[in-house]
Amino acid sequence: MLDLLLAGVGNVLQFKYLLPLVLGTLAGLIGGALPGVTITMTIIIVLPFTFGLDPLQGLAAMTGVYVGGSAGGAITAALIGIPGTPSAITTTFDGFPMTQKGQPGRAVWLGIWSSFLGGLLGGVFLIGATGPLAAIALEFGPWEYFSLFVLALSMVAGLTEASLLKGLLSGAIGLVITVIGSDPIMSVPRFTLGTDFLRNGFPFLPVLIGIFAFAQLMTDIEKMKSGEQADPPVKAPPLTVSHLKVLWEILSRPFLLFWSTLVGIVIGVLPAIGGSAATVMAYDQAKKFSKHPERFGKGNPEGIIASEASCNANVGGSLVTIMAFGIPGDAVTAVMLGAMTIHGIQSGPLFITQHPQVAYGIYAAYLLAHPIMVLLCFLGARLFMRVVTVPKAMLIPNVLVLCVIGAYALNNIMDDVVVLLIFGLVGYALVKFRFPLAPLILGLILGDQIEVNLVRALMSDANGWLFFTRPISGALLGLSIASVAFALWQHYRHKKRKVVEETDPDF
Amino acid sequence: MTRDGAAGLICLALAIALWVLSRGLPQSALVPIGPDFYPRFVIAIMGLLALLLIASDLLSQRQKVAEAAPAEAKRNYPLVGATFAVFAVYVALLPLAGYRIATFLFVATLQAVFERPRGAKRWMWLLVAALASSLLSYVVFNSYLSVLLPRGRWTGF
Repeated sequence: MLDLLLAGVGNVLQFKYLLPLVLGTLAGLIGGALPGVTITMTIIIVLPFTFGLDPLQGLAAMTGVYVGGSAGGAITAALIGIPGTPSAITTTFDGFPMTQKGQPGRAVWLGIWSSFLGGLLGGVFLIGATGPLAAIALEFGPWEYFSLFVLALSMVAGLTEASLLKGLLSGAIGLVITVIGSDPIMSVPRFTLGTDFLRNGFPFLPVLIGIFAFAQLMTDIEKMKSGEQADPPVKAPPLTVSHLKVLWEILSRPFLLFWSTLVGIVIGVLPAIGGSAATVMAYDQAKKFSKHPERFGKGNPEGIIASEASCNANVGGSLVTIMAFGIPGDAVTAVMLGAMTIHGIQSGPLFITQHPQVAYGIYAAYLLAHPIMVLLCFLGARLFMRVVTVPKAMLIPNVLVLCVIGAYALNNIMDDVVVLLIFGLVGYALVKFRFPLAPLILGLILGDQIEVNLVRALMSDANGWLFFTRPISGALLGLSIASVAFALWQHYRHKKRKVVEETDPDF
Repeated sequence: MTRDGAAGLICLALAIALWVLSRGLPQSALVPIGPDFYPRFVIAIMGLLALLLIASDLLSQRQKVAEAAPAEAKRNYPLVGATFAVFAVYVALLPLAGYRIATFLFVATLQAVFERPRGAKRWMWLLVAALASSLLSYVVFNSYLSVLLPRGRWTGF
């Protein structure tokens, strides 16, 4: 394994792979730092640029975006108190007060170095766990796969912040969208209304881009005033700091670093939950374990370390799920999964054995993206602050143009752009009805696989009880029921103190 | 009925419509499970969940004590509508006018909708920015990344 990893590192260090990785990391840092532009949005913007590249070049760029974006959110969170990404919200709690106390360099670099260390520890897990988990997945039959996908959907639906019912319904809508078009077993057209437009169903990437991009952009546009003028540019303070001191500040708290990393990894492995849950949970745990919980929210370095270490460790966890099972850990890996499909790569348990060069290239890109991220922050953290002041009036039209290119370039047909528009409307409507989007996306991704495995299982043995009596399948379905029961219990517990208010969803 | 109930009703109507359509699906002579089996399975789940959402909404309405609705932040829905409209026109115009012209018009229009330029200088900036967006993206994608972008049927450009 080490040989393959070293070969992967050597491979990615070649200029043709290193350049997309550096540019992807830079795009991620800027996108992550830009308030209102999430990592999902950044990766959607970067997606069309990867179509003309070879698979590893494209995936290296996307890995860079993911790593850079996870760290970039900390910069604006610490300096101006506005999280660049939803997952950086907990960094604002202590990062911004630290800046207000006159220590902006300490606040930013605590975040960046914690991201670096948490991310690398997440990388160790990624490299160590993907192979064994994929080996377990290889033993799965259609019953186990079906139950695994049901578990993924029920967990996502249950763990979303909206109601359990709406989470489950959102997942069901995703599944229903996948039944439109030819069926995956006999290619019989279904629900096509006799039109060619629906014959092949809705292509995944235009649907994903439409739902996420429009849901987010339109939520931002709602808050704009018509004809408003741009805000004056924010002036970044100097970020001079002793890096050794900052590193010591982090490394002298090994338990906090490891625990936050672990929380990030575990949340990352669970499908489609996203980085915000990881950072909030890690921050909460850090506060509970701290000897001085009263110092949290007042510029406590522990808050920044917990938030940022878990945020980047979450990336490693998400990549494990996509590489071992072919299930995206979050929306970012969902786009990566789509990009893999475009390049003819099927993610899942056979991915590492069938495409070792790409798999170990992704590991290498992930590991190398971290020092690149630190280097880029070292060279231009203050510069990013100038970029984040780009007026939305200029940014949004260009993002929409890139969405159109991303959708059109898949098959070079306008139908895909129409799909983008349709699902832009659907995505915005879902946000207004307060539906969580993560279960819908997971339903969309897993729909065909669920159908294929369900039908295969029933065709090989019509006894439906096998789903419950086969040990692994039964255990997975038991876990699904447990996760729904847990969500119901949580809902019941919080019902009394729940305040209904319109909050912006986590994209 | 709140927006949850309305959402449930829409989903239920969709589920019923799809269920009716699924009755017209052909049966397969080769395999015991036809192409209608799985769609009906997921449509039934969606319909059931929609019914539960409607029921839970109605129940929560009944149990609800009189309380003031939380103040909702003011949202600019006309601007959202305008953005969708401009985008729809852009999608319609792309195959007719071609990528470069349609994108220039789209970026310029949407920028003007978001931030109305005051004075000739600002208009000039807006047009230059839109032109740069259109041409730069065309050159990068078409020439360097081999991504073919639509040419216009009307303009041939």
